[in-house]
Amino acid sequence: MRRIKLPNPSVSNLNVAVVVTVGLLCLVGFLALYSASLNIPAPFFKKVVGKQLIWMILGAACMISVMFLQRKTLFDVAYIGYWIGIVLIVAPYFVGVSEAVAKRWLHLGPFRFQPSELMKIWIIFAIARYLSKTELVISDFRSLIIPLFLVIFPLAIVLRQPDLGTSIIYLMLVFPMLFWAGARVYHLFIICAPIISIVTAFSFYSFFIWVVLLSVVLYFSKEKLWLAIGLFVFNLSLGFVTPVIWNNLKPYQQNRIMTLFHVDADPQGSGYQVIQSQTAIGSGGIFGKGIGHGTQTHLKFLPEQHNDFIFSVIGEEYGFAGVIFVSCLFLILFLILINQAYHQRDRFSSLIIIGVASILFFHTAVNISMTIGLLPVTGLPIPFLSYGGSFVITCFLLIGLVLNFSSERPR
Amino acid sequence: MFYSQNNVTSGQRNVFYILIAAVFLILAARLYQLQIVQYNLFMGMAEANRIRVVSQEAPRGIIYDRNGAIIVDNKSQYNISVIPYELQRNREIYAELSKILQIPEEELRNRVKKNWRGQWLPARIVEDVDFITLTELEERRLELPGVTYSLQPIRAFPSGTNLSQVLGYLREVDKNDLKVVKDYGYRAGDLIGWNGVEREYENILRGIRGISYVQVNVYGQEVGRIQDKRRIQSRIGNDLFLTIDLELQQYAESLLDGQKGAIIVMDADNGEIYALVSKPDYLPNLFSGIVAADVWDKLRNDPEKPLYNRAIQGTYPAGSTFKIVAAIAAFERKIVDPKATFYCRGGLRLGRREFKCWKESGHGRMDLNNAVINSCNVYFYNLIQRMDIDVWAEYARKFKFGECTGIDLYGESQGVIPNKAFLDHKYGPRGWTEGNKLNLVIGQGDLIVTPIQMLRLIAAVGTRGKLVTPHLGLRYFDRNKVQFFPLNQSKPDSISDIHESTWDMIQSALYDVVNSATGTGRAAKSRGLDIYGKTGTAQNPHGEDHSWFVGFLKSESRTIALSVLVEHGGAGGGEAAKISGNLFRLIQNRINSVQVVMEEQ
Repeated sequence: MRRIKLPNPSVSNLNVAVVVTVGLLCLVGFLALYSASLNIPAPFFKKVVGKQLIWMILGAACMISVMFLQRKTLFDVAYIGYWIGIVLIVAPYFVGVSEAVAKRWLHLGPFRFQPSELMKIWIIFAIARYLSKTELVISDFRSLIIPLFLVIFPLAIVLRQPDLGTSIIYLMLVFPMLFWAGARVYHLFIICAPIISIVTAFSFYSFFIWVVLLSVVLYFSKEKLWLAIGLFVFNLSLGFVTPVIWNNLKPYQQNRIMTLFHVDADPQGSGYQVIQSQTAIGSGGIFGKGIGHGTQTHLKFLPEQHNDFIFSVIGEEYGFAGVIFVSCLFLILFLILINQAYHQRDRFSSLIIIGVASILFFHTAVNISMTIGLLPVTGLPIPFLSYGGSFVITCFLLIGLVLNFSSERPR
Repeated sequence: MFYSQNNVTSGQRNVFYILIAAVFLILAARLYQLQIVQYNLFMGMAEANRIRVVSQEAPRGIIYDRNGAIIVDNKSQYNISVIPYELQRNREIYAELSKILQIPEEELRNRVKKNWRGQWLPARIVEDVDFITLTELEERRLELPGVTYSLQPIRAFPSGTNLSQVLGYLREVDKNDLKVVKDYGYRAGDLIGWNGVEREYENILRGIRGISYVQVNVYGQEVGRIQDKRRIQSRIGNDLFLTIDLELQQYAESLLDGQKGAIIVMDADNGEIYALVSKPDYLPNLFSGIVAADVWDKLRNDPEKPLYNRAIQGTYPAGSTFKIVAAIAAFERKIVDPKATFYCRGGLRLGRREFKCWKESGHGRMDLNNAVINSCNVYFYNLIQRMDIDVWAEYARKFKFGECTGIDLYGESQGVIPNKAFLDHKYGPRGWTEGNKLNLVIGQGDLIVTPIQMLRLIAAVGTRGKLVTPHLGLRYFDRNKVQFFPLNQSKPDSISDIHESTWDMIQSALYDVVNSATGTGRAAKSRGLDIYGKTGTAQNPHGEDHSWFVGFLKSESRTIALSVLVEHGGAGGGEAAKISGNLFRLIQNRINSVQVVMEEQ
């Protein structure tokens, strides 16, 4: 593997397209929040929209400072940052004011902060640095063990908080990065297999289909016979054991696992939130009801309209035209990021951009799917649109990294 | 320092491109489905979320008597409601309310729970509060957030007459009724006329409910009107004018006070009822709004049956008043010579049974005329033995006994007129004897009539054969068209196959019943008035006999008929005749005074 020198940041080659798309997204999000808080009788900066403006300014400041960090510095602090991040996500268990359900907040004076948000960046850094080792043979399955560990360790902590949404994001960013680094698809499949075995085990037919698929893949994998049989038996027994373990769990243990899937989700039951969200979006029609005229939004039928369901506000007030515009902005942003990652000269920055793109993409796709009833409600916000301090700052930091890396001559 | 070079291939990049584009394509397709294909569905759901229909109860039409005096009016009842949400936030409100309304706090909480419709929807806690309480609540409005009052139109009865069973009452439409009346726009909880003229003229009296639309938020809290939907103003029902003459009605009610029985006064030419009394009755105020369950149960279980309209539902033996029918039949069919006499020794032996006359010492020799005047049973025993029972029944049926008169009130009874077939059916072809006929001719036995049927008989006699349909609805005022419309204008039937000489005979006899020295109805006699009538005693196995009087007054061009029944009024029709006499005197006065008024106009 060839070695190259890491370049230094410069503003001259700034990726203007990223700045414009992100700027437009922030503007749309700001207008939606403005509309959603129109009828709240409070001073501007006490309202969500005012607070969001402050967060955005803070985020922009963070973004700009990240833009000028030396890439070598980023490379050097990757592992240290990762372990500091781990300490911070464990910290709420000891110093955080326990908020009964979710131990995900860290209190710093008047601020509350979610260290698990920042942790996403540290995970990217650590994996990117590990995968940039010059002597790494990525086609060897053993090379994947460390990156997986780097994800699973913080994932387990966050899952206990419990925060299913963030855990999913952690898990989801590792696969694109491994694939980008050149890992074999077959290996990624084998990594995913136990998870799929456990999830499908609760329904006979889904498990049956999965087992058939698994055996076909193993058959064509040219794997050593004993290893293929071993993998098959391992997954099969996982599938058989899971329901047994589940049924032998005490009810409170089952509840603890079930709450993972219910945090923030559906307080009224029977899909109330999703129905109201779909109603808001569907009733928007082609051109929407107009800013400030969304009845679902202003009469509060739409729940969580500042955070998880801000996309529904846009759907109701700007209609199909509005949501397609927003979706196109996201699509353009992701395509630009992938393209930029492709043109990076060094593997470290390329992988970081892929990690950034993965985080933003999964947040966006899962959030929109949830508002239109394609996925269950998981409580993931949508980048640049949703209200929320830690998340806004994190998103701006991610964009700051992208802009930092864009300032070099493409390969 | 050197780092590994990026050696990603364009193939890897394209995999990412395709995956991302595919996901966005799915999302766009779903958005297209929601916002364009299913737009109408979701728009409807959004509208249903935010729009609440608020209805405003409409007052019913006013009921007047024939001269325009108000019988039933509307008044407003104030109901107190509370918004549960506000009371949960501020629990002292219960204590305050409890003091003002003088209802224990616990009871207030129970009522809120009972009438709960949602935390932002008013729950009714008190009905019909007085003005002082209302003022106090209004003064302390700021201390009592969430306490509201609403106006409900209810019935008022300013006239001082009862007219209980005539007016009837209103009832809340319940789920079972809804099956029948839903198509007419009723909803559960609406008031509907359930008896009396309130029922019969429901379509005229019923108001049109007003509808307005308000916007509500997710908590059900009102947040303003909806501009683009037209609200419908509630409209009062049309006004109904009854044939009742309030003054006469009031007097008639006073005459029967403390007794049981019925009085009906009617214009014999057109069937307009001037007065209709059934005692015991009840105060109509009990039914001004929604009737409390305990009041309703008490009225229903009262052994005196105040809800029962004796004038149209009460079934009694007709007693001697029914001799009119036999007399007409006998004269018309020439069964006996009117001049021929039978001897009354106080009774008649038939087989082994002695059939008594009411006068134990006997009437002596009686012809038809005298037999009617003195109500001699023995004469009619002899008469009926010469007559086929079916001929007698045929004449009874000419006067439409055995069927409803068609009065515009609900629940009329038919009565029974036995003929040969009836008796054969009931007792078997050999199970009945001449004795049954003897009982029937004096209005006993299986014969059953209602006071309103007797009234039509006597009205037909007074008008020489007009068979009117008694009615209470005179006309109504359509508030929409600003115009009066008459009610019950159908031409009366008439009996054409009875000769004038027969009417002459019976009218003359009935005149003498009241005006001759020995007439059984002389208690009804009034100086200067042309009063005709017939008394009757209906034997009552359960106590003292019922007293009947049916008669009519001929005054210039008009004939006013009445029918009076006093339960347990005693033999000889004395009690009923006395009441009738008093009534006839007032009727004559009313005719004079109303005519004076009309001429002045």
